[in-house]
Amino acid sequence: MIKAWRLAWLPFVLAAGPAHAHSPIPGIKGFYTGLLHPFSTPSQVLLTIGLGLLAGGFATETERYRLVVFPISGIVGLVVAPDIAELDAAMFAAAFAACALAALVPGRLHVLAVVLVAAGGFLIGVASIPDDGPVRDRLFTMSGSIVGASIGLLYLAGISLAIRERYTWPWVGIAFRVLSAWLGAISLLMFSLGLAAGET
Amino acid sequence: MPNRATLTLMAIALAYFSATFPALAHTGEGYGGGFVAGFTHPILGWDHVAAMVAVGLWGAFLGAPAIWILPVVFPLVMAFGAVAGIIGIPVPAIETGIALSAVVLGLMIVFALKPPIWMSAVIVGAFAIFHGYAHGTELPATVNPFAYAVGFVISTGLLHLAGIAFGLLIRWPAGRVAVRGAGGLIAFAGIAFLSGVA
Repeated sequence: MIKAWRLAWLPFVLAAGPAHAHSPIPGIKGFYTGLLHPFSTPSQVLLTIGLGLLAGGFATETERYRLVVFPISGIVGLVVAPDIAELDAAMFAAAFAACALAALVPGRLHVLAVVLVAAGGFLIGVASIPDDGPVRDRLFTMSGSIVGASIGLLYLAGISLAIRERYTWPWVGIAFRVLSAWLGAISLLMFSLGLAAGET
Repeated sequence: MPNRATLTLMAIALAYFSATFPALAHTGEGYGGGFVAGFTHPILGWDHVAAMVAVGLWGAFLGAPAIWILPVVFPLVMAFGAVAGIIGIPVPAIETGIALSAVVLGLMIVFALKPPIWMSAVIVGAFAIFHGYAHGTELPATVNPFAYAVGFVISTGLLHLAGIAFGLLIRWPAGRVAVRGAGGLIAFAGIAFLSGVA
C-alpha cells in the first residue's frame, strides 16, 4: 500500500503545464534562454553528447580538470566571433571526430581528446552569439549559453563516468563504444547533408 | 474484492488518463515521420536485414573483441558510404555489393571462419560502404534528415544486436548448428538477391 502511494506524484508531474512565472531579476530571462541554447539544434546536441562521451573516458582526476578548456574556449569563441560560413557542418564534423575517438580508442590519445573538447567549446561559443540588442541582454544570454553548455558537458561526462565506475561489467564500456559509433555515424551523415544542401 | 493497493493504482491511472493532452497527430512528415522512414528502411529491405544480422552472427563466432568491434566499425564506415551517396560520388554495383555481403558473411558463418580481427573489420567495413550508400541515396526528400539518420543508424545497430543475441547460442552444440544453419540461410538469400530471384 505504501509503495503504491509513492507513485501518487506521477500524474501531477506528467500533467504539468506551463508555469507562466516571471523573472525577478531584469534581463535574467536572456540567461535562461542562453542556458537552453546549446541544446536547441541537432548539431550542438550531438557535439555536446559526443564531447561528453569522450570526456567520460578521462580516467584520472588530472585529466578531468582539463575539461576547463571547454568553457574557456567557449568564451574565446564568443569574444573572437569569427564568421564561419558552415558552422553547423563544422560542429557535426567535430561531433563525428569526438564520437569516433570515443568509439575506437576510448581513454587514449588524451591530448587529441583535450584539443577536440577545446574545439567543441569554441564552436559552441561561436554558435551562441546572440542577435544584436542591448549589451546587458546579450551578456546575460551569452553567459547563460556558456554555463548551460558547460553544465551539460559536465553532467554527460559525469553520468558516463558514474555508470562505468558503478557497473564494472565489460559490456558497459562496449555499450558506450557502440553508442559513440552510432552518434558518430549520425554526425557524419548530418555533416554530408549540410554540405550537399550548401552545394545546391 | 481488489485490495487497497490495486485500488490505489487504479485511481492513479485514472487521474493520469484524465489529465492527458490532445495527441496532435501529424501526417508523417517532420521528426516523427523521418525517424519512422529511417528506422524502417533497413528493416524493410531483406538484403539489409540479412547482412546486418550476419554481422552480429559472425561476430559471435569470432568471439571477443570482434563480437563488439564489428558493430562499432560498421556504422562508422556505413556513414562514409552514406556520405558518398548523398554528395553524389559514384560507387558502382551497389545492389550487387549488398547481395554479395549476405553471401560472403553467410559463408563465413557456415564455415565458422576466423580471420584476424583487422581482416574481419576490413571485410565488414567494405560491405558497410554499399549499405550506407543505398541508405544515403534513398533518403526521402520530404522527411527530416536528422530524424531519418537517427532512425536508420539505430535500426542498423539493433539488427546487429539481434544477430549477436542469436549468435550467443554457439556456446551450446545445438546452438552452434543453429547459428551455422542461419549463416547458410543468409548466404542462400544472398544468392537469391544476386540472381534477381528475390
